[in-house]
Amino acid sequence: MGEVIVVTSGKGGVGKTTTVANIGAGLAGLGHKVCLVDADIGLRNLDVVLGLENRIVYDITDVTAENCRLKQALIRDKRFNELLLLPAAQTKDKTAVSPEEMIKLCNELKEEFEFVIIDCPAGIELGFKNAVAGAESSIVLTTPEVSAVRDADRIIGLLEASEIFSPQLIINRLRPKMVRAGDMMGIEDIIDILAVDLLGVIPEDDQIVVTTNKGEPVVRDPRSMSGQAFRNTVKRLKGEEIPYMDLDESGFLTRLRKIFNRK
Amino acid sequence: MSQSKQEKSLVKFPGTGADDFEQYTDENTVLIQRTLRSGQTIRYNGNVVILGDVNPGAEVVAAGNCIVMGVLRGVVHAGASGNEDAAVIAFRLRPTQLRIANHITRAPEDENDTTFFPEIAKIKDGVVTIEMFSTFNDRQIRN
Repeated sequence: MGEVIVVTSGKGGVGKTTTVANIGAGLAGLGHKVCLVDADIGLRNLDVVLGLENRIVYDITDVTAENCRLKQALIRDKRFNELLLLPAAQTKDKTAVSPEEMIKLCNELKEEFEFVIIDCPAGIELGFKNAVAGAESSIVLTTPEVSAVRDADRIIGLLEASEIFSPQLIINRLRPKMVRAGDMMGIEDIIDILAVDLLGVIPEDDQIVVTTNKGEPVVRDPRSMSGQAFRNTVKRLKGEEIPYMDLDESGFLTRLRKIFNRK
Repeated sequence: MSQSKQEKSLVKFPGTGADDFEQYTDENTVLIQRTLRSGQTIRYNGNVVILGDVNPGAEVVAAGNCIVMGVLRGVVHAGASGNEDAAVIAFRLRPTQLRIANHITRAPEDENDTTFFPEIAKIKDGVVTIEMFSTFNDRQIRN
């Protein structure tokens, strides 16, 4: 029996889809059977980020409406054999799926997979309720902005109301330089308000934009900082204890230089 | 003196002997054993005690006193039905907006959170006043 995890943030644009793609790819890279579910019906993105858009035949609404079997709708990733995607519908809206149908779907998926990761749409309306319905645990994503932290706080409250307790937090797009200068909220400031367990901290990285546009998860990039941060996050999700990275950019460069000097 | 009368009715400590115990027991109090997160609201026709934080975007409205055993960062309204003797007490008093009866205040914008002790907000001479909360002082006033 697998675990159903919903990735949610409340606010849009904080990186839910990118995070789902990278955590999914990271887990699959470690040999786990993973299914990613795009619950953002009407605005599907996860397939694009994974570079699988052109393989979609059936989507989640076809499964819930029983137009096809579940197996027919699942798309196998081109890099990882154990990573499958259940894409969202582009032409329908969020009312096309009901929370009851999502619960049934999730129960079916967790028989088959070790991890079922749901990409939740932004907002707190029906789309959120659908995405959360079948989940047992959650990852709350935020960026170091007051508005994103506020929405994350609201979401944690709503998750508790749906009986999903103790969410794990990922802080995305952190810029250590700005935090040090006092211009950005730091990790402690965010934890102080949200009071939840920290799962990972992903630094702001241009490489994310590059890899996302190519449809290639950054977690596979061995050199980028964000890729390393995602790999650490994935290991923590599995229950391993991984120390947090030194996000100091200068520290990172000096380390790089050391490596070059050694050669 | 009206001021000392106000002080007297703020926080009552049974056992100090001066008053009749009956007078503290008639008000009803609700105990909230959790943190209030953004979007969550507590409204109660009596005192509210919260074992947890009140986060930004959360709201507490009480007809009586409001006591937060944690960080108060949201909106709080004590004495919402017009009781000017109501008080707000928090381990860390950092509200977005603080209301007592029909007085509305907000934190000064240029000040940082520099207090690291419990504080009490109450109306003194028609102005909302925030002071360090000390049970010792209040006991002194009573005697």
